[in-house]
Amino acid sequence: MIRDITLGQYYPAESILHRLDPRTKFIGTLLFVISLFLFHTFPGYAVATVFLAAMIALSRVPVSFMFRGLKAIFVILLITVAFNMFLTPGRVLWQLGFLKLTYEGLMQAGRMAIRLIYLVVGSSIMTLTTTPNQLTDGLEDLMRPLKRVHVPVHEIAMMMSIALRFIPILMEETDKIMKAQIARGADFETGNIFQKARGLVPLLVPLFISAFRRANDLAMAMEARCYHGGEGRTQMKPLRYRWRDFVAYGVTLVYLAVSIVFRVKGI
Amino acid sequence: MSIELKNVSYLYSPGTAFEMRALENINLTIPENQFIGLIGHTGSGKSTLIQLFNGLLRPTGGTVHYNGKNIWDEGFSRKALRGQVGLVFQYPEYQLFEVDVLKDVCFGPKNQGLDPAAAEKRAREALEHVGVPEEIYDRSPFELSGGQKKRVAIAGVLAMDPRILILDEPTAGLDPGGRDEILEQIASLHEKRGITIVLVSHSMEDIARYVQRIVVLDGGRVAFDDTPRRVFSHYRELEKMGLAAPQITYVMHDLKDRGLPVDVEALTVEEAKNSILRALKMPKKEVRP
Repeated sequence: MIRDITLGQYYPAESILHRLDPRTKFIGTLLFVISLFLFHTFPGYAVATVFLAAMIALSRVPVSFMFRGLKAIFVILLITVAFNMFLTPGRVLWQLGFLKLTYEGLMQAGRMAIRLIYLVVGSSIMTLTTTPNQLTDGLEDLMRPLKRVHVPVHEIAMMMSIALRFIPILMEETDKIMKAQIARGADFETGNIFQKARGLVPLLVPLFISAFRRANDLAMAMEARCYHGGEGRTQMKPLRYRWRDFVAYGVTLVYLAVSIVFRVKGI
Repeated sequence: MSIELKNVSYLYSPGTAFEMRALENINLTIPENQFIGLIGHTGSGKSTLIQLFNGLLRPTGGTVHYNGKNIWDEGFSRKALRGQVGLVFQYPEYQLFEVDVLKDVCFGPKNQGLDPAAAEKRAREALEHVGVPEEIYDRSPFELSGGQKKRVAIAGVLAMDPRILILDEPTAGLDPGGRDEILEQIASLHEKRGITIVLVSHSMEDIARYVQRIVVLDGGRVAFDDTPRRVFSHYRELEKMGLAAPQITYVMHDLKDRGLPVDVEALTVEEAKNSILRALKMPKKEVRP
């Protein structure tokens, strides 16, 4: 039933990318995104393609998973491509009423499409090889400098990990309550949208109550163990850079340098 | 009015890496007017099995018949079936949602298509049966104590007037007093209304004196299906399944092993006492407790 929905995209596998420090992956992804905007010619995109293909191969995640994320941006992609194709001024190749398909527009649309697709696939590599918890830890560490300007970094990270932890629990709970109400003759499937919405009350009320109860219990348990926020708190699995992270940084920086050179030379 | 399971098996997430066999080749008949105990260790498949009884889960192999009709045939109303085969889940208090107790209990009968007056009549009867006092009918179900919530939730299923009532660990989380009270009320439902009761438990001790038949599940298979006395005689095998016969069974077996001719099949302390007195050839009146 509802339990089949999986959270995040993490794909368990044994690969060098899975073992990398989440911070490395996060910064690496960021640099990759920057490079996509530095490249503006097709030879440049060829370099990006090689880099991306190498990362996909290294991750040992089936390629189909990589492109699954594209479904979400399909509409945006379509609109972007269409607008660029028809609304960029330049040499007209084909005309239909006020719509002019131009050579420049076609090139621009191609560039935008490649950028968008690579952006999504590139960040998919990160989310597919990093567990949500690792990602939160990495983000907390990277955002640490923001503490100076009084951003509650630890609290944000703690909230994120609690939320992530509770999603499967609440899913299971939903499943249980749903079954209990179906056993009492509740109907969650038939009827128009209003009947369906009203039909959800017997599910949502117990679910909310249980969520509050669990939140309360957890707060109490944390209090009982003297939780007092992030000050002076250490981690069970502290993040530590290893040699492979430095190699990864090196490779990414070389790649970024190439993209800068391409930009400067205008290739 | 009977449920019949033939060669039923159930797989969770079939065809994936997470495939797990919960039940294997189950043959079971739940006849009319019987009080049955369903016992098994955690993970033995009890909870899965009871969800097959009222069509919440579809068996991955075998068939489930209700009154001779396959419940998964096209045109069979499983919604109507769920009114006939009432299922009370473990911790049923978490299913309460209405503004007051009476309305919550009316939810089931209303879903069966009864008009509000008839639904309320059923709800009042059901609440009375499980011993919920009338003065709390208009209270919010969330203000009640744990034991009362549980009763209200059981009444919520009972109000659908089922022919077969299945209860999954109805005593979980209750103190010994509340436990005995609920079990007594369930037993009286069986007597007064003549409905079949399936009581799921992991404790032989609790249900031994109520049930007529015990079905023991182990690793997704039916290990024993017999009267309590005969099932308890396999107490050594039960132990291997992580279960235990009632303490009195052990006492009686020990006594017999030491040469006292007692009845090892005694179910209750009372029966055991009489058997021991007989074995010692002491008339009852001479013994003070």
